[in-house]
Amino acid sequence: MTARWHYFLVPSLVVTLLLLLASQFVFIKGSFYQDLGLGRIGDELIADNYIRFFTDPFYLRSLWLTIKVSLLATVCTLLLGYPIAYVIARTGTRLAMLMMAAIVISSFMSIVIKVFGLMIIFSSNGWINQALLGLGLIDRPFSVIGNISGVVVGLIHFCLGFAVLLLYSVIQTIPRSLEDAAQIHGASRARVFWRVVFPLSLPGVIVGSLTLFNLNMGAFTSAALLGGGRIFTLPVLIQKTVILDVKYSMAGTIAAVLLVTVVLINLASIFLLRRLRATKWVIT
Amino acid sequence: MSDMAVIAAAPTKRRLLPYLVSRRITGTVLNGWVMFGYLFLLAPLVVLAGASFDGAEAYALVNFPPENLTLKWFFDIPSRYYESIGVSILLAATTAFLSVLFGVPAAFGLVRAVIPGRPLISAIFRSPLQIPSVVIGISFLHLYYAAGATIGVNPAGSFAGLVIGHLFHSMPYVTGTTVAVLQRFDGTLEEAAISLGANRWRTFRRVTLPVILPGVYTGALYSFMVSFGDIPISIFLTTPHFTTFPVEVFLDMDQGLEPPMLAASTLVIVFSLVVMLLVQRVVGLEQILRSAGARS
Repeated sequence: MTARWHYFLVPSLVVTLLLLLASQFVFIKGSFYQDLGLGRIGDELIADNYIRFFTDPFYLRSLWLTIKVSLLATVCTLLLGYPIAYVIARTGTRLAMLMMAAIVISSFMSIVIKVFGLMIIFSSNGWINQALLGLGLIDRPFSVIGNISGVVVGLIHFCLGFAVLLLYSVIQTIPRSLEDAAQIHGASRARVFWRVVFPLSLPGVIVGSLTLFNLNMGAFTSAALLGGGRIFTLPVLIQKTVILDVKYSMAGTIAAVLLVTVVLINLASIFLLRRLRATKWVIT
Repeated sequence: MSDMAVIAAAPTKRRLLPYLVSRRITGTVLNGWVMFGYLFLLAPLVVLAGASFDGAEAYALVNFPPENLTLKWFFDIPSRYYESIGVSILLAATTAFLSVLFGVPAAFGLVRAVIPGRPLISAIFRSPLQIPSVVIGISFLHLYYAAGATIGVNPAGSFAGLVIGHLFHSMPYVTGTTVAVLQRFDGTLEEAAISLGANRWRTFRRVTLPVILPGVYTGALYSFMVSFGDIPISIFLTTPHFTTFPVEVFLDMDQGLEPPMLAASTLVIVFSLVVMLLVQRVVGLEQILRSAGARS
């Protein structure tokens, strides 16, 4: 059957390409104009915004903070998500089904609702803080608002469900018989994991963590709400620049730097993964 | 492996008891960690829903566990929340529908067309997932203003503008899940149907469609839920008078947490649960899971 399948590509390719190129071109071009205040922009192409970004320590610190927070959140998400995905993939009963359903449901809840819940849990009169205060473990209420650990907790919430789905699909492809074989030959469960399951899942985990890192770099809600006006990651800064300062060009500049950073980090990791594969550090 | 099989397979070199004890300890630590993960994941939702039934008098104070149960906050939900929930549902449904309309043919083309440059085309389809969503938001805002300046149509702040932004972001989910099922699809089934005298349309409806439908549903569900919960894109494309529910709550949270917001959020949690139950009824969660992680 030789249908002309390539015609099927046309409508969506046109839509995607048009929106992709037009939006990226317009906003990157827009980032080279000067803000005249009140949302008006000049009509001369200049690099002032970029010079400002790369000479002002405030913006540079924000860039570094975004990378740091995203990395931290990605690592924590993997530490929490991998065991969950592993247990679900290897349980294979109704319980696993139920566990997976809980993951799907929670990953589909808007992050704003989850952050709302977090705020209640860690509110100063919430029972966690009351208990910790009562036990004398802390002398003033622990808050998730306005500090980096709060933002990281929010980001973990944002991508944990997604991470479990990703890691589950990776672990599922590893034949279970390999683990059984290792156990029969006397390996302990921990040894089976570190010598068999983990190495085999590593390429998938690396690719998956890249996706998570990208998600975190663009995440805005948790950082904005839990940052409490003190933690400025780039996404928060972009929104503030648009809504409060009404400087569309500067916001475009920050967004362009964020985009280029993400693309560069992705390319670097893919390059690194290739090198690791070439030196047989990672099995494909 | 079952415990009996493990005992049978236990290494003879080592003694059985320490082996089983270490096995039990590893298992306990693992289970404990996984339970902590679930507690972490689900606690905010439970606490939020619980706190919305709290009848404490002080307005700015939210309690969990609720002290005296009340439904009064549910009657205090301002009408703008209902309006924004309506906008969110309509937006998510339109986005999911259009994602299927564009994404499914794209998946067929990607898997079946014999053309050069397929990796490039597939990379283009996936590109919206690589762009940080906040960048999508700001770049579409720029695009809409440019459209307003050049052709006189500025979709910023309109429903169409929101849909276009969300469609761009959501289509890759449908394309991805449909590609995943299509790649596993056995093409000889179609040939068999054709050779038995079915025409193309009938073959598609009776053979191909039933097989790929779970993938399509999964993609549609993802696209619905991603669009329904989105903030980073919507926040740039909405106005104070026309906004989605997550953006509305996000902006209101600056003014402090108030019980009617909790109640409205609880309604949204219930709505999402109902959607999941419907999906379970119509498609079955196993189907969703099978094609869940297949996007990357």
